[in-house]
Amino acid sequence: MAGYDRECEVVVVGAGYSGLAAARHLARAGVDTLVMDARHRVGGRSFTEVTPSGFTVDRGGQWIGPTQDHLAGLAAELGVATFPTFTEGQGVELRDGDRHQFVGLIPTSDAEGAADGIACMLHLDLASFDVPLDAPWTAPDAAALDAQTLASYFDTHLTSASARVILEVAVKAIFGTSSAELSLLFTLFYLHAGGGLTNLARTTGGAQERRFVGGSQQLAEGMAAELGERVLLGTPVESVFYGPDRVTVGARLVPTGADPAETDTDTDTDTTRHPLLVHARRAIFAMAPVLCGRLRYSPPLPGNRDQLCQRMPMGAVTKVHVIYDDPFWRADGLNGQLVAPGAILESAFDNSPDDASHGAIVGFVAGDDCRRMEMAGPEARQAAVLRALERAFGPGARTPVEVVEQHWPAEHYTRGGPVAVSTPGALTALGPALRAPVGPLHWAGTETATEWCGYLDGALSSGIRAADEVLDALKGEPVGLD
Amino acid sequence: MASTEELLEAYAEWRTRSNANPRLTKMVRGWDRVIHFTTIDTGQAFTMRIEGQQLSELAVGHEGQPDVVVTGISEDFCDMFWGDLNPSEKYMSGEITLLGSQQDVMRIDAISMVAFLDS
Repeated sequence: MAGYDRECEVVVVGAGYSGLAAARHLARAGVDTLVMDARHRVGGRSFTEVTPSGFTVDRGGQWIGPTQDHLAGLAAELGVATFPTFTEGQGVELRDGDRHQFVGLIPTSDAEGAADGIACMLHLDLASFDVPLDAPWTAPDAAALDAQTLASYFDTHLTSASARVILEVAVKAIFGTSSAELSLLFTLFYLHAGGGLTNLARTTGGAQERRFVGGSQQLAEGMAAELGERVLLGTPVESVFYGPDRVTVGARLVPTGADPAETDTDTDTDTTRHPLLVHARRAIFAMAPVLCGRLRYSPPLPGNRDQLCQRMPMGAVTKVHVIYDDPFWRADGLNGQLVAPGAILESAFDNSPDDASHGAIVGFVAGDDCRRMEMAGPEARQAAVLRALERAFGPGARTPVEVVEQHWPAEHYTRGGPVAVSTPGALTALGPALRAPVGPLHWAGTETATEWCGYLDGALSSGIRAADEVLDALKGEPVGLD
Repeated sequence: MASTEELLEAYAEWRTRSNANPRLTKMVRGWDRVIHFTTIDTGQAFTMRIEGQQLSELAVGHEGQPDVVVTGISEDFCDMFWGDLNPSEKYMSGEITLLGSQQDVMRIDAISMVAFLDS
């Protein structure tokens, strides 16, 4: 394949919400910007698809809640409407072979356990306010908090085993991993950034309050449309060559129709092997740390930045849509919410469209369940999901029209989901490397956000923050490449 | 529609239970606050104080500068104080609203839920 070079002032690597927001911000400021993405689509962890049966599903991030002002502003600007997540009626709890119905945030079959869980959530949420959003590693007792896991916190603050299992369900749904893998300091930061665990777990009034009519990827597509030919898809960046004030990224060119992941077999680091070289004054890497860490840098990244990329692994989640002719559970006074500790599908919501033209339940197979069921295979996973739904919502759940799974750990250009987490010790040792530029290299992505970290809103604000950083850096520098 | 007398009676019962609940008293440790209640259907006004981990008697009228303002329907307040209503459901539907700092609202929300679950 013939190679070619492109020049621009700023190259953005990653065309998810974060990268597109950064590029749009720069383009609007008159900066010549290119955005590159390995895939043949924009959106990153936001991925809307029409299924073979004609249903629109969000395979990735899909919700918008109060105080997500960047996201709300973008939706309003692009004319994308939202509608409330269906919450009328009761949720279902499956536990220890029994089935219970409940109202509100938390299952109440064990009232003592539920009260214990709520008291613990409040304690966590209040403690989170002591963790500075821009520098969690400077929190009072940061080292002690970062030396603990969330699991060890639960061990000492929960008296009820029942509360523990319910909170673990919430943790796995939010982070895609169990409390044993989460730094307590990181958890408190994350809760503060999203308004608290109660807020993150809630539908109405919380992070899962509303959805986008037609899916969330439209917002990414809207941003990409404004950027037009500045967006280069099918260009997986593999190498980064940088000096004090310039950077070149080397990418493959993947023909339309070919899978970028399937063609990722070239291990030669020679720049001549990259058909596309983009030269710029600055680069923004708008993706999770683990993806940044997979690129080859010359010279190598500073040790702390590289270590950070190793110490913020992605969660593991398979998002499952189970689609029915109609939302039949509503006729039974159920709102589609499921909490099923110990089941393969531990949490689920009603994900039917606003007009209820068909029914849909969306659920999450997360953490170790996600990893275990990858080994068991999709058929076993789907069978386990349908068993849980049948127990929760009755025999009608046994015969869906379609089951759509998005197994994020196997996504070559995401590597897991819904978010990267910080392991114990990482934030205090390496946190300052999260956003600190390395020469002309800047870091964006929702993991770098100080508000709504891990969410679509955080992705947008992180892109704008990185773009502002670049605009500041370019001030006073000579225009153009030497 | 609940009368002032009915609300005071229900609250008195709720207060007795809450002040005897170790989990709740722990949740309000170091959290002395003035809370105003307003009923939107009957226009009644009440003031509750939390001092020294104890709930005060409910005073008729609004007294002092409130830290949190709670607004809702009189019957819902009555049912909540009797332990017959899950307040979370009413918050989620917007039928009971809380106005105050994020931390104060968070705490009131959790306290009312725990009071319900432990009732």
